[in-house]
Amino acid sequence: MATRALLAVIYASPNRCYISPSRIKIQSLTCSSSSHYYQRQSRKNHRIARSYSSDSDSSVLQPPDVARLAQTARISLTPAEIEECETKIRRVIDWFGQLQQVDVNSVEPAIRAEMDGGNLREDAPETFDNRDSIRASIPSFEDAYLKVPKILNKE
Amino acid sequence: MLSTLQPPRSLSLLPLRRFQISKTIVSAASSKTIDTSVISPPQSQILTTRRSLLSGETTAVEIAKSYLSRIRLTEPQLKCFLHVSENVLKDAQEIDQRIAKGEELGPLAGVLIGVKDNICTQGMPSTAASRILEHYRPPFDATAVKKIKELGGIVVGKTNMDEFGMGSTTEASAFQVTANPWDLSRVPGGSSGGSAAAVAARQCMVSLGSDTGGSVRQPASFCGVVGLKPTYGRVSRFGLMAYASSLDVIGCFGSTVADAGMLLHAISGYDRFDSTSSKQDVPEFQSQFPSVDHFESKPLNGVKVGIIRETLEDGVDSGVRSATQEAASHLEALGCILTEVSLPSFSLGLPAYYVIASSESSSNLSRYDGVRYGNQVMAEELNKLYECSRGEGFGGEVKMRILMGTYALSAGYYNAYYKRAQQVRTLIRKDFKAALEQNDILISPAAPSAAYKIGEKKDDPLAMYAGDIMTVNVNLAGLPAMVLPCGLVEGGPSGLPVGLQMIGAAFDEEKLLKVGHIFEQTLKGSSFVPPLLANVA
Repeated sequence: MATRALLAVIYASPNRCYISPSRIKIQSLTCSSSSHYYQRQSRKNHRIARSYSSDSDSSVLQPPDVARLAQTARISLTPAEIEECETKIRRVIDWFGQLQQVDVNSVEPAIRAEMDGGNLREDAPETFDNRDSIRASIPSFEDAYLKVPKILNKE
Repeated sequence: MLSTLQPPRSLSLLPLRRFQISKTIVSAASSKTIDTSVISPPQSQILTTRRSLLSGETTAVEIAKSYLSRIRLTEPQLKCFLHVSENVLKDAQEIDQRIAKGEELGPLAGVLIGVKDNICTQGMPSTAASRILEHYRPPFDATAVKKIKELGGIVVGKTNMDEFGMGSTTEASAFQVTANPWDLSRVPGGSSGGSAAAVAARQCMVSLGSDTGGSVRQPASFCGVVGLKPTYGRVSRFGLMAYASSLDVIGCFGSTVADAGMLLHAISGYDRFDSTSSKQDVPEFQSQFPSVDHFESKPLNGVKVGIIRETLEDGVDSGVRSATQEAASHLEALGCILTEVSLPSFSLGLPAYYVIASSESSSNLSRYDGVRYGNQVMAEELNKLYECSRGEGFGGEVKMRILMGTYALSAGYYNAYYKRAQQVRTLIRKDFKAALEQNDILISPAAPSAAYKIGEKKDDPLAMYAGDIMTVNVNLAGLPAMVLPCGLVEGGPSGLPVGLQMIGAAFDEEKLLKVGHIFEQTLKGSSFVPPLLANVA
């Protein structure tokens, strides 16, 4: 039995950026028909996303620059990996773009599910009783120090 | 308290059970007629073990030996475990010694438990199925593991998973791919695939998994076992390697609702080491598991059940839809009042979830830098050490999600992505709250399809993400949910299991367990045992 993937896409009419939840139209896609659709949707999402960008002046949501992101995240990627990642990440980020079309005016962001609150502990350090076991996991350890190479300033 | 206990079943004598699904295709492979009068409802392995040990019928060592032997026989095909404990028999001997001395036994005495490899177990490798933690042995037990051990449970080993919990198939493990016991060419689901498959294959009695976007519930559906996701904050996350801190929970697998519930009770409760753990009382879940002989004729009379309309639309396999509708009819027959509910924000959950999960994971996984633990790739300069250790240690999917999260949290992009996703989360929570004010529980399929083939979704991330549509909203809302097998659809040598998802109000696991237990015990043809076990003693 073939399994069809469900991709729900919410789209606004071209003249409106606002959509109330009761008017959301849901369009299901199969993955095989996606590439042409994604190119169209990608351009539309970036257009709409720009109108929601946070900073006032120059900030426009640039598509992801994988090499730069990898540097920020301190992950080394081979050129082949960058290329493969770039295609996949762009597709996913474009898909994230549908969130731009939801009306979230005066909706409070929820950091997590509702919480009891007031769960802070005393600001008092406790000594862990199995320090040897922690030390055993450290790749480079000398005397009382973790050993790491020097930092070179690039500027 | 359960007042009647059935004797332990001999697994090798069980013929395959098949659930009759009207109007859907039935597996052509099996032509056995099923005499439903001899199929007894599934029995709790935890209680059966306890009774056998206390009556002297068997010993903890004998039980442990039989499970270890089954692991030896089935592991080459299934590959559920990344590490099997060397101390299983020693731990079992300790239980036997306590019984001999007449000492009090904890509720999990002698129970063999698999633990997902992203949950820290002292002295035992805990790798989160990642090369970056390949030889890591934590210096401490996760609180959930500590509680299990205190109550007499025996940790059998560490189960395979998608690396750091990122995936829905267990194919993203750095070490091995786990096979579905129902069809070895198919995935067990993910990311807790190893834990689900191990329980399905009876390699252990119950197991722990983690659920961030459905990682306990979806593999439970694919493997035909019960998967229980508690309310966020019900179980301490201390010792669970964090993926998305606002979404992660530790969940339970069992072959029955009672087993999953009893394991959940054992690990629940406030923990001072987890500032997000809740101080809410943990009710005695055991009272929700009466014997089927004591059920009234309409044991769920008046229970209001809402079936989520958006989960039965296009994109869901017809076999899954039928099985869900059959399950709904079964609930009605038990006295439930079924209505259809709509959650307008439902489809927004998937992109919101992936924005939040990627963003939080990019922060959480920054600790894996090769300095304090894990694999280190030495370099001449510190940043290079970070880059190379992480570049070589992380798998492709993990790298992708970290990069997506880094993008979404970049300066200037926070409002467009992360904050927006959190606002969508508020909308989703409101919809669920409204629906659960009108209903006791909500139901839906656990996944749009049954288990698919290994390799089928590997190259298309969006296709894989789409399969999480049924489960992610529950994590965003922080609610408890349980998946239990409700039917079989065509596929594999003898059909593939399909699970029903039940969603409850926050901290209302009791209601879920009560409804689930009664549903399970009254389901005709209800023993979901994979065909693999027919040939294994």
